[in-house]
Amino acid sequence: MRRLRLPASPIEQSVEARAFVFSAFAVAALAIVLYGVDYVVPIVGVVASAAGHVVSYRERNLRRGFWRQALLAALIFGALFYVIADSSLALFGGTLPQANFAILLVAITSFDLKTRRNCYSSLWISLAIVYLAAVYAWDYEFAILLALWLLYLVGFWIASHLRRIDAGVRVPARAMALMLGAALVGGMVLFVVLPQPAGAPISPVVISLPNFTSFKGDMESAALPLVQLTGDSTGATTSVDLHFRGRLGTAPVMYVRTGAPAYWRGLVFDVYRNGVWTASDHFYRQTEPYVPPRLLPQPPGHNLGTFVQTFHVLRPLPGVIYAAYPLQSLYAPVAALREDAYGTFHTPDQLRPGVTYSAVSYIPDLSPQSLRADENEAVFEDPNGANLDYGSLSQPARALAADVVTGTTNEFDTVLALTRYLQRRYTYTLDLSPVPSRRDPVDWFLFDVKRGYCEQFATAEALMLRSLNIPARLVTGYSTGDYDPILNQAVVRERDAHAWVEVWFPNHGWVPVDPTPGVSALAATRFPSHWAAGGVAHLIPHLTVSAPAAALGSLGAFGVIPAGIAIAAILVVAYAWLRRRMRLPRRKAEPGESELLRLYARVQRKMRRRRAPPETPLEYEEAMRSLLLKELTQAVNEGAYAGRWPAPERVREMARGVLAKSSRRL
Amino acid sequence: MPGAITLWLLLVWYGATSAVSWLFLLAGWMVALIAAAAAYALWNRAGLRLDMQVRASTPGPDSPAAELPEQLLRTAPARTLFEGDGAEVEVGLETSGAGRGPAWVAGRIGDEEVTLATGLVPRKGWRSTHAVPSLRRGVLGATGWTIGSSDPLGFFQGKRRCPDSEVALVLPRFASLARQRLVRELETAVTSPRAGSGNELFGIREYRPGDSLRRIHWRSSARRGELVVREYEPPGVQTVGIVLDPSPPNVEVADQIARIAASEAWDCLRDGGRVEIWAPGFEPTDSPRDLWGLLEWLARYPDCPPGPAAIDMSTAVAITADPQLLELGAVRRWLVGDAEVEGEIEFERVGTAWPL
Repeated sequence: MRRLRLPASPIEQSVEARAFVFSAFAVAALAIVLYGVDYVVPIVGVVASAAGHVVSYRERNLRRGFWRQALLAALIFGALFYVIADSSLALFGGTLPQANFAILLVAITSFDLKTRRNCYSSLWISLAIVYLAAVYAWDYEFAILLALWLLYLVGFWIASHLRRIDAGVRVPARAMALMLGAALVGGMVLFVVLPQPAGAPISPVVISLPNFTSFKGDMESAALPLVQLTGDSTGATTSVDLHFRGRLGTAPVMYVRTGAPAYWRGLVFDVYRNGVWTASDHFYRQTEPYVPPRLLPQPPGHNLGTFVQTFHVLRPLPGVIYAAYPLQSLYAPVAALREDAYGTFHTPDQLRPGVTYSAVSYIPDLSPQSLRADENEAVFEDPNGANLDYGSLSQPARALAADVVTGTTNEFDTVLALTRYLQRRYTYTLDLSPVPSRRDPVDWFLFDVKRGYCEQFATAEALMLRSLNIPARLVTGYSTGDYDPILNQAVVRERDAHAWVEVWFPNHGWVPVDPTPGVSALAATRFPSHWAAGGVAHLIPHLTVSAPAAALGSLGAFGVIPAGIAIAAILVVAYAWLRRRMRLPRRKAEPGESELLRLYARVQRKMRRRRAPPETPLEYEEAMRSLLLKELTQAVNEGAYAGRWPAPERVREMARGVLAKSSRRL
Repeated sequence: MPGAITLWLLLVWYGATSAVSWLFLLAGWMVALIAAAAAYALWNRAGLRLDMQVRASTPGPDSPAAELPEQLLRTAPARTLFEGDGAEVEVGLETSGAGRGPAWVAGRIGDEEVTLATGLVPRKGWRSTHAVPSLRRGVLGATGWTIGSSDPLGFFQGKRRCPDSEVALVLPRFASLARQRLVRELETAVTSPRAGSGNELFGIREYRPGDSLRRIHWRSSARRGELVVREYEPPGVQTVGIVLDPSPPNVEVADQIARIAASEAWDCLRDGGRVEIWAPGFEPTDSPRDLWGLLEWLARYPDCPPGPAAIDMSTAVAITADPQLLELGAVRRWLVGDAEVEGEIEFERVGTAWPL
């Protein structure tokens, strides 16, 4: 039986190709350091990989030793053990175990780069590492690392191509720079202009193996950003009290990478009593951390597809999975998930900073036409009647609701009429005094102050709709946040904590409606098309004169890089220009040479016309017809063309002569 | 290229399914890189030209160049090559405008496959030398040459055919056969004329021992710094016709026929005669006193231009591998090879080894 042997590759012989492979890996490791906040393994990996490349290059033509191969295999198994142990038990901190595994894999295999497959595999693994870092990269500076990685890939391709045709690694620098520059600029233009398609992933976007904290008994927890007075074991609020409103800051609470801007829905409340919202149904269903589509409700009948979201938690959050609902699938790095009766998923513990989870959501077709056609024929099944119970809503409020919706003929128009009424007649403010005691918060909002914050708008809308026999409930969560249509990501801050209403439509289910002024009534469902970057028009106003400066400023510490590159480019151009201009042989001047040339230059200045570059000293002397030049021209000619430079003393004599002659002339 | 497209598809697919926009940026760069590489490849391809010439030569053992008088060598065409010499052929690429590359050239020089490549063709052009250790008689041709070019990444590779060309003409080796002639009686038929004989002055040549001192042309000798004698049209036999086998059986025999013919011609010319070389069915030579013209004709033999003309056989020397040609009325006959000869014909049989 013949032994399978991989073909020898000329690429392995190329130092340059190896250097590019290593550099691409180093950039990937740097990305993990900067964006994954993971230091030890990347640094160790880069150092080991450098040593590995040196060893494998030196010994590239030697026979592979058995013991070394065995050791490398053992190390790969060790890395495998590491990733499993760190993922499941967080033995080494549990930071990006899969990225660390990839780094270790590259470092180990670099000791045995005998075939092209390994050289390429190092590159592709480094691309996977870059991808993992990209999941955590929320700023434009990451593009610098990406560009660097791409340049090293290009370098590898060039070195590999030149090696294949058996040519030295030299390329036309100017044409090459032009090509690369055009590609970089062109790629960025394509990135900005072209729509970015969205598709359903076949696996979880981010795989961080779960920590094994399971659900425990109830316990008190610290107050959390949302309006909450009481909380469950995870810190999730169990009620919303309209009498109180916390102050919300501008600190980011999470980054959301999303194919579409949406409201990030959290907890749902359906019982309103004396200014306090609570949930009536406490049923829970426990699931695995990965919830596939088959374990979730059927997709809405009218949906426009799905879109992906990745959430990166920055501050401690309640153990609630904020996401666009309805969900198609969900993955969170926890031991287990719990789905409440309202479809919201909960985690066993608080969401700690650094946790990343991903979700895929349906984009329901919630167009006005579609909702208007949704006839209220089906009977709403509400076992405990909570969603139609308007509780303590006063008679004037109910009368107002009836008055506002007079003339509407379908549920959607009724909902829209009430929503728009609240949006137009009432003012949104966070600067509100506490609700007076013994005064119903809704009445106080509707008839007294006529100003309020989102919970008050939402509460008023929900209760007034209930009074019109339309099922409605309060939803809390976060609004979209600062959405960047280019990077498809949103920065969600504390101040984006929000409350809105879900209204039941027989054929659409619970439809989010937002009565808060300043947003569209169907804002919660304002999904763009599949082409997430179709919102490129939003970018155009930013392309002003100040945009580059703003972009530079936004780079923060990285801002020194473009500036440094610019300074380096200026220095290089200046050096090249000087070099071209002063193409003088670098030799030591003869004694008297520089003195004579200085004197010659001085006399030229005195003549008020310098010798033109194509003019010989003799022609210059003839043209100037000056006695001052006679002796000097001869000396310069002898020095320049015969190499006989006068002694410094002789030059000084000439200088005195020139001085005497010029003073006589004067 | 397939790798780049696969990578692009992978990036778009991962970008679309993960909403990680950076992958779209990388995919955009990949598309732009492919487009820029295509434009580069077109530009690179448009401005490259092949250039090939003999840069240097080294005389082989027994090369006639060592024996030829300086005066004669001065009239030789540039870069005269004899079979057996070594040559350095410079293969280069010229670029119009800016430096280009990468590029590679491949083709045959003579019988040898040559492939050369460079990453950079500078503005002044790129040259690489290919050594041919021992040349064969005939045309040293550059055949089947192609210029390959691509973008630096090797995504778009293209080849362009170049027309076949002659790099050099390798002349046959020769040597004086006069000393080796065994058939003395033939010499009487082709008397060696000496400078000084005859009446009609037709040129000057270098002094050789035995020349009459009265024939020294002092003015020319003073000008050249060496003794030069007047050369007169010799009386008697002035023209030697050399008849060659028109279809030698193989290259080795053809080479040998050409060598003997060149040697005969050299002997005749050296003695002031004229030479006409012919093969039945071909155009005879038209420069009876020009050694280089005769050698060039012999270098191409038997691929000479066809023609109906014939030569006077009464003073001809026949050199052939075909016994039938010996029956022509030649004054001297050479038979190359082992062919059987019937009848009483006087000839000299030789093999293909050189020198004889």
